[in-house]
Amino acid sequence: MARVAVLQIPGVNCEYETVRVLEEVGLEARIVRSNEPSSALADFDAFVLPGGFAFQDRIRAGAVAAKLPAVERIAAEAGEGKPVLGVCNGAQVLVEAGLVPGLERGAVEMALAPNRAPRRQGYLCRWTRVRAGQGPGAALWTSALEGDRVVPLPIAHGEGRFETADPAVAARIETGGLALFRYVDAEGSPAAHYPDDPNGAMLQAAGITNARGNVLALMPHPERGSWLFQVPLDWAGAWGERRRSAVGSRSALDEAGPGRFLFESLARHLGVPRAERVVA
Amino acid sequence: MSAVLRTRLKIADLTAWTALDAARKLLPAGHALRRLQREEIFVFEPAEGRGADFEGPLGHAIESSNFFVNPNKEQYRFLGAADRGAALVPPEGAWGILARARGETRDDGLRERLLREHPMNGLGSIRRGRLWWLWVEGPEGRSADLEACYRAVGPVTGSRRGLLVNPHSETDFKIDGPVSWDAVEAFLRAPAAPRREAA
Repeated sequence: MARVAVLQIPGVNCEYETVRVLEEVGLEARIVRSNEPSSALADFDAFVLPGGFAFQDRIRAGAVAAKLPAVERIAAEAGEGKPVLGVCNGAQVLVEAGLVPGLERGAVEMALAPNRAPRRQGYLCRWTRVRAGQGPGAALWTSALEGDRVVPLPIAHGEGRFETADPAVAARIETGGLALFRYVDAEGSPAAHYPDDPNGAMLQAAGITNARGNVLALMPHPERGSWLFQVPLDWAGAWGERRRSAVGSRSALDEAGPGRFLFESLARHLGVPRAERVVA
Repeated sequence: MSAVLRTRLKIADLTAWTALDAARKLLPAGHALRRLQREEIFVFEPAEGRGADFEGPLGHAIESSNFFVNPNKEQYRFLGAADRGAALVPPEGAWGILARARGETRDDGLRERLLREHPMNGLGSIRRGRLWWLWVEGPEGRSADLEACYRAVGPVTGSRRGLLVNPHSETDFKIDGPVSWDAVEAFLRAPAAPRREAA
């Protein structure tokens, strides 16, 4: 069975639900503490840096965690082509470690800056819509996404604005299709205004990969939208209708939610036979 | 000419502790980081054509409320335009990094809340920055190579290079001696240049 390490850095808070959804799609998931010897990260097929507040976001979100030996080890594994997913705070760590976009080896080429929206500052917790693109990460991270490529996902962050001060890096992210997930409005068009665009990120980016596509820094939390019961009752559109229809039925509520596709895609990539996966 | 408020924690600053610990691992060989301190800096600019008439009410608001400073955990220095002196002077033995957001440094939301709670006339903009002060010793008692130390713990350029500033969301300058307040104000006001063009 394919094995996934979920890195537990002091201050993260999403490791258990991440393990739960990884197991739901047929993967063996193990929480590895960041102060274990780096060798504890050997023999895994993929890595997840979950959400939370590593080191309480001291200095800057992800800044301290990015320098951990465990993250260096994961960077080396990413260099071998193994999948690495950073969700929210995990995304901030990947960016601060230079793994995303990772155009120049070892260089930090962007930031996850404080949210920017007119007359609004600080932490934002709400559901958004993202469109999955066709960049180099699409095969790995979206292969299980059938039909509509616009997916509702929840966000919960204060520093989620992908930003680079280097115009050449911005151009390569855009032309290379590295902004794999982008915020869109209810019609599926690029989000032009708050709240569809929750933070003012470049290219309305919700998730950016490296050029190879195997490392994904994703600000929304797919693990918090991996079961139908997690979808808000008042959500508009097909997912909201499914959610409302499921009221009163435990089995219906336990079906896959909109964020499940990401983990299903990872499981497919890692060769988990479909029979081993719990398919809703 | 602007008024200046500088605040810092008087209780243990855990962010500074963490920064100290992380920075020690990044310094050039032989260098020792003895101490690290973090300050917030607020610059209050008068409205167009106005003088310093807001300074009295502002000073009173700072002293008598916890809008900017909670006296249980923070200490502060508020200096009016006439009292602030010619230059920002590093603490004895320290050098520093002044950082600010790359985008707009004018905090209109803060100004709006301030004026709602503490009405005053003549206040234009409030701009913000962060000061990091570092006390570093060089090898064998020699003075530290400040340029190398700045590269090691200042702007992040690589996974093992830089710490205190992410140059894609912030901009900064090194303070290795007194810096005129005019230069500080200009730095806090000026638009940040794209990185490669600036290099």
